[in-house]
Amino acid sequence: MDDDAVFLGTIADLFAAWSQDKWRIHQAGSADQALDVLKKEKIDVIVVDANMPVLDGVQFLKVLSRRHPELKKVMLTGLATEEKRSACLASGAELFIEKPRSSDGLKAVFAMLDELMTWKPREGFQGMLRKVGLQDVIQMECLGRNSCVLEISNPQTTGRLYIEEGSLIHAILGNLSGEKALQKLLSLAGGSFQLLPFESPPQRTINGPWEFLLMEAARVRDESAQAGAQEETSPEAGAPGVQSTVVETLVSSEQGEVLYEWQIQNAPARVAWLQGVTQLAAAMAAEAPLGGFDRLEIKAGNGRAVAQTRADRLVFVRTTSQTLSS
Amino acid sequence: MNEMLQAWIDACVGTPGTLGGGIRLPDGLVLSRSADESFPTERIERVLAHLAEFQPQLPAAIPAPLASTWLFEQGRIRCVVRPDGCLLGIAVRSETEAAAKLDQLTDAFLALE
Repeated sequence: MDDDAVFLGTIADLFAAWSQDKWRIHQAGSADQALDVLKKEKIDVIVVDANMPVLDGVQFLKVLSRRHPELKKVMLTGLATEEKRSACLASGAELFIEKPRSSDGLKAVFAMLDELMTWKPREGFQGMLRKVGLQDVIQMECLGRNSCVLEISNPQTTGRLYIEEGSLIHAILGNLSGEKALQKLLSLAGGSFQLLPFESPPQRTINGPWEFLLMEAARVRDESAQAGAQEETSPEAGAPGVQSTVVETLVSSEQGEVLYEWQIQNAPARVAWLQGVTQLAAAMAAEAPLGGFDRLEIKAGNGRAVAQTRADRLVFVRTTSQTLSS
Repeated sequence: MNEMLQAWIDACVGTPGTLGGGIRLPDGLVLSRSADESFPTERIERVLAHLAEFQPQLPAAIPAPLASTWLFEQGRIRCVVRPDGCLLGIAVRSETEAAAKLDQLTDAFLALE
């Protein structure tokens, strides 16, 4: 919904093409028109311009939340401010996005909307962003290059994650900070979280691409569960004195378009390899009764590599490890 | 040698949580053992063939792997290749004794003489 018909038409054409016509896109130039479409059609996601005449975006979000509580709502704005962002999220928006000014920006918005359509709530967590889980929220904030603080609580503990312009920069939970705190926060079995306006953390304790950090947290969580000691594990358990360094990262669309790469010498070849991993995993999944494929972990030399297949993305990260002298 | 390897793989799949596994020798011969009717030896052999096919495709940037693990929703497949070319592939269910012992099993396979 936008009162700029040219912008609306351009976006509709592009997104329809990028979705390979899987999306059915309805256009509305006003709140009345949008409500009319919602009455007649089954809509999964609505994208609303924040600066509409008559009924502004925040007021309209409140109307939508009341009348269509299951609808996923995305606010698009030309000028993003923290105040506006907090108001939109508090009024029921799942996503708050700055209007893209380039082709790459449009693609990033398309990717976020595409993911939002398939996201389902994860067990155990409830928060201001009702329909998505903690890891999903972190992904959305990072993909959107947003800045925010995520406060995560359960009856035993409260922690915070700091995201600045799409990068995870700090995490704290009790006496833990940095990656250990992030891993512990993501391994919590349940609780609630809320998104707060960004404030500078006392220090930066996390570096590296968020994709790798989330995958690493998933690995640690899996290994803790495997050991049957998720809650009992000492916070210092794992690899004390070992420093991991990311040496290669690549994110591509399922179709093979490189969305992000860092220090990959031959990105097209690596994408082809990732697609090969996906095909081979599918072939093995057809033979072994183990369910759907999640990721491939390779232990090699003094490091490891992880290849992960998502519904719409392929991710590759390689790290090397170095033992630190005490 | 083959009898020893067959005995070794037979013993491995006895660990609770193992679906089955096998060793593929450099000449293509496969020694396998199933521990679950949903994963019979024909399927194990096809998985081993896939794993063997995958090894040469690894990007040059990745050093020769010590072990690779394919993680699925309900379990994982561990693949280990020895310097002599023998390949071990074993499928286990998640959160079982077999899954917890995969690293131990990897070390034992690499140390086999």
